Amino acid sequence: MNIFLREIKSNIKSLLIWSGIVLMISTVGFAKFSAYADNPDLLAILDNLPAAMLEAFNLNSFNLTTVTGFYGVMFAYFGLILSISAVMWGSDIISKEERDKTLEFSMSLPVSRGQVVWAKTAAVLFSSIVLALFTWGAIVVNAKQYQPDSKFYEFVALGSLALFIMQMIFLSIGILIACVVKQHKLSGSVAVSLLLGTYFISILSSLSDKLEFLKYFSPFTYFNAADFFRDAKFEPVFVWLSAGIIVIALAAGFFTYSKRDLYI
Amino acid sequence: MSIIEVNNLTKYYGKARGIEDVSFSVDEGEVYGFIGPNGAGKSTTIRLFLSLIYPTSGEAKIFGKDINQHGVEIRQEIGYLPSEVFYYEGMKVLDLLKYSESFYKKDCTKRMMELAEIMELDLKRKIDDLSYGNKKKVGIVQGLLHSPKLIVLDEPTSGLDPLMQQKFFNLIREENERGATVFFSSHILGEVQKMCNRVAIIKEGTVINIQDIKSLQKDNYKKIRIEAEGLDEKRFSVEGVNNMVKDNGSINFFFKGDINLITKLISEKEVEDVTIEEPTLEEIFMHYYV
Repeated sequence: MNIFLREIKSNIKSLLIWSGIVLMISTVGFAKFSAYADNPDLLAILDNLPAAMLEAFNLNSFNLTTVTGFYGVMFAYFGLILSISAVMWGSDIISKEERDKTLEFSMSLPVSRGQVVWAKTAAVLFSSIVLALFTWGAIVVNAKQYQPDSKFYEFVALGSLALFIMQMIFLSIGILIACVVKQHKLSGSVAVSLLLGTYFISILSSLSDKLEFLKYFSPFTYFNAADFFRDAKFEPVFVWLSAGIIVIALAAGFFTYSKRDLYI
Repeated sequence: MSIIEVNNLTKYYGKARGIEDVSFSVDEGEVYGFIGPNGAGKSTTIRLFLSLIYPTSGEAKIFGKDINQHGVEIRQEIGYLPSEVFYYEGMKVLDLLKYSESFYKKDCTKRMMELAEIMELDLKRKIDDLSYGNKKKVGIVQGLLHSPKLIVLDEPTSGLDPLMQQKFFNLIREENERGATVFFSSHILGEVQKMCNRVAIIKEGTVINIQDIKSLQKDNYKKIRIEAEGLDEKRFSVEGVNNMVKDNGSINFFFKGDINLITKLISEKEVEDVTIEEPTLEEIFMHYYV
């Protein structure tokens, strides 16, 4: 419990910064939407854009002049932001002790490596839940001015759940990387590169049917806003895949960290 | 009963040597010195004790328990002071000490306050603002606040002024009288000689000698340098003198034996300057063991 509380305290600043980013993007985004709302000219412009571009930004499936459609397009950006925060928190919470050389203190206390990793995981999980709820709130509050219907709120609720699952995936991957990579300087950049890599895979997979198999390799495609808007539910295979990644990454990270030499 | 028992302990970092085939044992209530130059493997041995790293082969037992299997139980009763202390940023001294205390099963608040007073520690200050020496003082309090059965010191005096060093040694002596066993790693022969009953000497990853302090002191060399005009080095060619080097109006040599013999020889003629000092550990290694 003491480790958990200390980590939450030390993560507050970062949580505030990420909340600020989310708030800014949702506020600016919905302010921009005021120009799109019920604007037929915009639809004409969009019709002239190349098909691949429309596909990549998910503009085919949504009507950008409605608030629901606008959220559908914005979803990808929130997904990216929350995933980056999660992967960075995950890798940082483990590797920072090696970076700041506090490991020799914290690991010579009577705690097992396992206890430390679980307490730290719980702490970043807590931060992620707070950020997920904050994001949900920021979107709902900002959208209010356009008097959205009840379908919008259902869509945002489902979207927020999807964002949270994505956070969990990247959080576990971040933790896994920091637990496995002995060189603490590398773990942050490996984690972020992996995230960007999977993001580009998600774009590639949408470009051509031949590349569609790639979608299994990128958590960004597991929850496609167009699909869960249409079906009002997630595809079960991707929910299971997400759960599998989370469990395996955490278990592998936990196991490796308990067995490896610490870098002091 | 042996508090620490090490058998053929070996640690390789990839291909790089950490320690090789190290064996020794430390009895209950003993102050045990562990001495060797930088890079000899002192910290590696200690980090193995604390399960910060795992051995390549061999085994070690502390309080009769295997270090790989009972790390948490063992660390409940170990107080560790590393050579350099690093603590979490943004924490006050008191918060850090309380945080550390919260991991031990017993209530240590009283002892913590006592120690803080002895070490003249300002509990309200932020750790980031403390000087190196003051951080070290935090480390001493943090390492001793739970009245551990085994105190592990890794070059503990660096950064402490002489007054604080004295207080620190008194503190360690008191803990020892209370019944704590002390494992004292250092590269400074003098402080180990002052504190310890027995000493293991480690060099390039292997323990080359285990001696009790009395016999080590008997074997002790002095490093002597004499400056004088028209110096005749033959005058000092007596038994116990070796490695004599003459250089620019001064002579340097090592001496082992009755120091009065040498002071008499020195005072027979006028000299400009004399220094008699403890050889560094490296010099001892060079002359003893090569």
